[in-house]
Amino acid sequence: MKPQMILTVFIMSALAVFTAENTFSAGALKQFGDHMGRSHHALLYKRQSCDSCHENSEPTAFPADFVCLDCHDEVELVQATARPEEEKWQNPHNNMHYGKDVPCMECHGEHRESELLCAGCHSFDYPDFKK
Amino acid sequence: MDNKKDYQADRRRFLVSMGVAGAATLAGPSLSAMVNEGEVEWGEDHEIVVIGSGFTGLAAAIEAHKLGATDIVVYDMMPYFGGNSTYNGGLFAVPDSPLQKENGIEDSPERMTADQVLAGRGLAYQDLLLHVASHANEALQMTLDAGTEYLPYLQQLGGHSVPRTYQTIEACGAGIIRPLVEQCRKLGIKLVTRAKFKRLIFNKEGTVEGAEIAMGYYFGRDVDGTPVNVRSKRGLLIATGGFARNVGLRSAQDPTLTEEVPSTNPPSATGEALLEMFRVGAVPVHMAYIQTGPWASPDEDGFGYVSNYSIYNFAHSVSINVRTGKRFMNEIADRKTRSDAQLALRNDDGSPLPPITITSFEDAKEHPTMEKVLKYKVGWKFDTLEELTAHFNVPLEPLKAQIEEYNGYVKSGMDEQFGKPMGKAEGKYIRAPFVVVRNWPKVHYCQGGAQIDVHARVIGSDNWQPIPGLYAGGEVTGGMHGVSRLGSCSIPDCMVMGMTAARTMMKS
Ligand SMILES: Cc1cc2nc3c(=O)[nH]c(=O)nc-3n(C[C@H](O)[C@H](O)[C@H](O)COP(=O)(O)OP(=O)(O)OC[C@H]3O[C@@H](n4cnc5c(N)ncnc54)[C@H](O)[C@@H]3O)c2cc1C
Ligand code: HEC
Ligand code: HEC
Ligand code: HEC
Ligand code: HEC
Repeated sequence: MKPQMILTVFIMSALAVFTAENTFSAGALKQFGDHMGRSHHALLYKRQSCDSCHENSEPTAFPADFVCLDCHDEVELVQATARPEEEKWQNPHNNMHYGKDVPCMECHGEHRESELLCAGCHSFDYPDFKK
Repeated sequence: MDNKKDYQADRRRFLVSMGVAGAATLAGPSLSAMVNEGEVEWGEDHEIVVIGSGFTGLAAAIEAHKLGATDIVVYDMMPYFGGNSTYNGGLFAVPDSPLQKENGIEDSPERMTADQVLAGRGLAYQDLLLHVASHANEALQMTLDAGTEYLPYLQQLGGHSVPRTYQTIEACGAGIIRPLVEQCRKLGIKLVTRAKFKRLIFNKEGTVEGAEIAMGYYFGRDVDGTPVNVRSKRGLLIATGGFARNVGLRSAQDPTLTEEVPSTNPPSATGEALLEMFRVGAVPVHMAYIQTGPWASPDEDGFGYVSNYSIYNFAHSVSINVRTGKRFMNEIADRKTRSDAQLALRNDDGSPLPPITITSFEDAKEHPTMEKVLKYKVGWKFDTLEELTAHFNVPLEPLKAQIEEYNGYVKSGMDEQFGKPMGKAEGKYIRAPFVVVRNWPKVHYCQGGAQIDVHARVIGSDNWQPIPGLYAGGEVTGGMHGVSRLGSCSIPDCMVMGMTAARTMMKS
């Protein structure tokens, strides 16, 4: 299956769950059983499918870099956060210093708070970034 | 959904479960550097191995490919590529360049070397400087081939006797690094992140045969990775950059550089690979010459926006002691001269008193960084001198007189106060509206490092001969710049010495 189709299927089933339970609070860090996780990935935790990101279902270490792209389409991601021409390299997913080469977990925490890599040196505005 | 494990397989570089096993292994006694080759279990075997993915490492990899190498690998300990290089200001000095010819500017490798020797205060290695200056055009060409774009004009930076500095259109070294990374990928050069060089492995004859690399190393996250012995047929290039962020190491050289002094470097500038070279006998050179940048600002972190802004504008600006309203330095003297002059400006209680640098809005707006400086409020625009002096608490009358005096030097072309070369200030009188920034030095560059020769071979202290199989280039090396490196001279240094290392390795 193409990654984009995987995401579409997931979104549909995920939305079904979110709407049904009315627990949607985008991106929040929530407790799922023994683990903290992101509310937008609730379905993955409900299904106990730790291996959708990790190498196996009982992980002890970090997932592989860019595993997130199994479900999230890179091209769409770059488009979703694209900025006007004079700010084009502020796009976190295709940025000045590294292009598309920064592993997702360097900015997005899954079980922990997110720390934006760029924040130490710049104060660009990213309204949709979830701590 | 099973095929998801194959998707992007090339980017899923390691099974990270290795990380935990690796941590346990590393806790054991460390291997000696001198291992008998027969006893080493090699996990990987390559033709050329490069440690570090800044200008030096990437230039070496691309040049090695050009010379026929087919199995080249570049390791970096960070989760991404480019080290200091991708945060750099994108300023690149090239003598005898195409843009100089277009503009009728006379220059030569000898002239650039002479400028650098002066800044090096007698300690710079002339042979290395001349070698780099003589090959800088080839390095420029490598970046152009990869797709780097430069501003259409040259700049004359502090300590340079003529305009010879190119700048990327992004005003950032990333304008070189991103294309070089792309180029490496196109050429099939392997680039591996989260791979930390730990130690050198020698054979019985004392030749560097390979290195122990911790694969799946997570910087800053307490995962040490799994050690893998990597063999390199043609030797190993150490291109790991400086040590500005290693407070222990830098303050051991210069006790004033405590953790309270900020740095323009990213946290990867640790110098651990340099220490490993010293451990096997490389010669430490000029370790205490650690440069601070006089164009940095106390109003932002790191290199920020003010640095590039000031580098461009100093030539046609006045730097003012806010206490007296008077100039206190030649705004385009070499870095050490200016940093020392700034550091001497103090309040009565000894606390720092950062000077202000005043530029005419009409001149400042010629460079793209002015907008950023104003937008992020690390610089301010004033319509009158009265507003300016009120904002910074500067005495108005002395400042007025100072500006008048300085404008006289702009007219005559002779700075009678501090001997600043006024060529680049021609017609650029200080006039309203003004743009003003504050400056204060930050730890920027390590002149010191391991000694190399003009073939990028690392010199050993036991016999003063090259250590066979070991090469180094870029900021990890020492000697080339002496006491103080001139601005825009690191890019040519790194790129040319990387290319040189590749040439030497391919002959071995
Ligand atoms: C903010 C800033 C602006 C600058 N502006 C300019 C400019 O405009 N013009 C100019 O000429 N110079 C400039 N300089 C200086 C110049 O950028 C640096 O000297 C140069 O980038 C160093 O390049 P390098 O290849 O030696 O090392 P780096 O680019 O620092 O690369 C070294 C790499 O090695 C990796 N590494 C380190 N240790 C290990 C290890 N043990 N194992 C694996 N990998 C390791 C690091 O992660 C890093 O990616 C600037 C420097 C800074 C910090
Ligand atoms: C198994 C598939 C899958 C994997 C793997 C996955 N995600 Fe998601 N992700 C989803 C789904 C489904 C959603 C909810 C739909 C949406 O909002 O796009 C989502 C939502 C998100 C959102 C919120 C999107 C928004 O619009 O606000 C972020 C951020 C995110 N994921 C990041 C990541 C990161 C980072 C990783 C890797 C650590 C990752 N995802 C791995 C399926 C996945
Ligand atoms: C959406 C992707 C995703 C899913 C699903 C996921 N993880 Fe993780 N996991 C990560 C990321 C990303 C990290 C890196 C640290 C962080 O960002 O929290 C991580 C880190 C870890 C770590 C290492 C923690 C450390 O600090 O050393 C463990 C253990 C772990 N996860 C367990 C689990 C378990 C158990 C599950 C299932 C209940 C699970 N994960 C589900 C993405 C995921
Ligand atoms: C270690 C400090 C550091 C980090 C971290 C960093 N940058 Fe930068 N960035 C710089 C420096 C230094 C410059 C060059 C400044 C100049 O133009 O003078 C720069 C320039 C830029 C520019 C061009 C100037 C501008 O403001 O438009 C963009 C865009 C940019 N960075 C985006 C990013 C993004 C996105 C991230 C996160 C992925 C990031 N940076 C992380 C230091 C950093
Ligand atoms: C350099 C930091 C950084 C990295 C690396 C990064 N992200 Fe993001 N991501 C952000 C920021 C910041 C936002 C919010 C953008 C905004 O507010 O404009 C975001 C938003 C998102 C969103 C929501 C996009 C939308 O539809 O609005 C998703 C999904 C996402 N990231 C997934 C990923 C995945 C998958 C990766 C790895 C391929 C990744 N990110 C890597 C910083 C990062």
